[in-house]
Amino acid sequence: MQNEMPKKGQFQARVLSNQQIRRCYYRLNMQFDAFGSRLFEKVTPGQFLELDLSSVSLPAPSLVPENLKDKSTRPVMLRRPFSFSDVIVTPTADGPCVKVEILYCVLGPATVRMMSLKKGDPVNILGPLGNGFSVPDNLTHALLIAGGMGSPPILHLASYLKHHYPNVEVLSFIGARNIEDLPFSVRIGNFKGLVLDEFESIRVPSHIATDDGSAGFDGFVTDCMRHWLEDNPVDPATTAVFSCGPEPMLASTAKLAKDYALPCQVSMERMMACGIGLCQSCVVDTKTDSGGSEYKLCCKNGPVFDAETVNFHGE
Amino acid sequence: MENATLKTDFAGLTLAAPVMTASGTCGYADELAEFMDMSALGALITKSISIEPRPGNPTPRIVETNSGMLNAIGLANMGLERFLEEKIPILEQLNTKILVNLAGKSIDEYVAVAERLATEKAIDGFELNISCPNVKKGGITFGTDPVLIGEITSAVKAVCHNKPLMVKLTPTVTDISVTAKAAVEAGADALSLINTFTAMVIDIEKRKPVLANRTGGLSGPAIKPIAVYLVNKVYNEVAKDADIPILGTGGIMTVSDTIEFIIAGASAVAIGTATFMNPDAAEKITHGLAEYCKQKGISQISELVGSLR
Repeated sequence: MQNEMPKKGQFQARVLSNQQIRRCYYRLNMQFDAFGSRLFEKVTPGQFLELDLSSVSLPAPSLVPENLKDKSTRPVMLRRPFSFSDVIVTPTADGPCVKVEILYCVLGPATVRMMSLKKGDPVNILGPLGNGFSVPDNLTHALLIAGGMGSPPILHLASYLKHHYPNVEVLSFIGARNIEDLPFSVRIGNFKGLVLDEFESIRVPSHIATDDGSAGFDGFVTDCMRHWLEDNPVDPATTAVFSCGPEPMLASTAKLAKDYALPCQVSMERMMACGIGLCQSCVVDTKTDSGGSEYKLCCKNGPVFDAETVNFHGE
Repeated sequence: MENATLKTDFAGLTLAAPVMTASGTCGYADELAEFMDMSALGALITKSISIEPRPGNPTPRIVETNSGMLNAIGLANMGLERFLEEKIPILEQLNTKILVNLAGKSIDEYVAVAERLATEKAIDGFELNISCPNVKKGGITFGTDPVLIGEITSAVKAVCHNKPLMVKLTPTVTDISVTAKAAVEAGADALSLINTFTAMVIDIEKRKPVLANRTGGLSGPAIKPIAVYLVNKVYNEVAKDADIPILGTGGIMTVSDTIEFIIAGASAVAIGTATFMNPDAAEKITHGLAEYCKQKGISQISELVGSLR
């Protein structure tokens, strides 16, 4: 029992950097301690961690966004769940050293506090939690589709597939309400209009869609992928869809995948207090084999589910 | 960790320490065992068990508030049969006392669950949940009526064999001593207080409650001073003379919170919301309590119980 490595645990991380990407989007990089690094050595995209932000202070009043001045006065007690946009495992003589990148959007009392994290700050972490995306054995084509703040684990999955499955062709579809809400560095490419640096740098082509047409495809990202599928026949036996984003978008993705007989995994999001199956607050409505429905826990049974098994509810 | 100072007699059970984990915040034990040494605990109180499985309420089920949180889980649980099959074998392996939190829609349902579990060796006692604010039938509807409290307590007590029955009280009554007294007179071996306060958070943009259930139970540090007061009140007005132990609960986050409850009259405490933030909170508090006793030259923690001047 004592020598057995636990699957998850509580440990310390140090902040390496905390940079604003654009508007309310930030990129937080952390290095884990030895225990945390061992826990995260085999982490998969879609898994998540819980950050303890209860002792992180507010940034200077002048730095608190105007629309959050009111909300930010509330103290933060519960941990906050985050997936990763990147995980770098470096083997050393003393075991693995893990660095993790989190993309976050400042929209409440917890994320406002995260703005004040700076190099060297300690952060307490619980993780790794949940089940990530699984890669089918015979996969040759991966279609990645993300909406808004669902993008980070999709970026992680893109680099994970590139690294561990070099023979799989990876294509991404990234949607947001407008160009300002794309949580990436958007750049004008040489020949092909806008590109997302983060995907470009790992050689994964990305299709951008915005609800207001301010960048890329004018419309929902799921419609963007539907158009692509109409023009580019794929083999359902070797192709799979991987998705993360708001629930209505996941529901559309599931329907689209079904129309093309493609297997589809969706990463769900729920409010949760603990992240480890204690509080029972993060339930997802799922289908049972016998045709009924049952609640499963997003934190423990998910957050990644087979799209066929989920009863989606629009928010 | 054996510590003679912390050893506590609680309604006939010998607890390793006067610290438990509260129902609904520690699953059925296996979730928590990954994070802490369960033998440090006095006892674990399981998630509620009802005779039939209950899916619970739709989401959102929780929302954070100033120094607290609301939950409206709705007594979601796997039901008696699956509990017997899947969880009893795990609980048998644990080196701590196990109390089962009983839930039901009628007295008969509570009785049926207690009767079936009373013969299980792994189960050391029961907590009668008559104070859940998040279900339409059962729960708090029993807990606010002294006559019903008496009926349900004596009916369940009759099938518990020799295992202690603790009654969990709601704070949302005019006088908690009245409900406490009703439980004690009907045969309760211990009282646990307090359950959560019915509360609401409104999304001002949508003009809708945040929780799908509209209301939820408020827990966390926000309710602690009220819980300390009510424990002290019940200790003075009911428990002390009846020689019935109190399990104090409500927003305990630290060692000093725990000591406050004990001074107020609690023989033991249960850690709830704090476990959500730190899964090993109860173990850390237990170690801290031992350290406190050492520093203060307290040889037996029970010396502190009800020592409020």
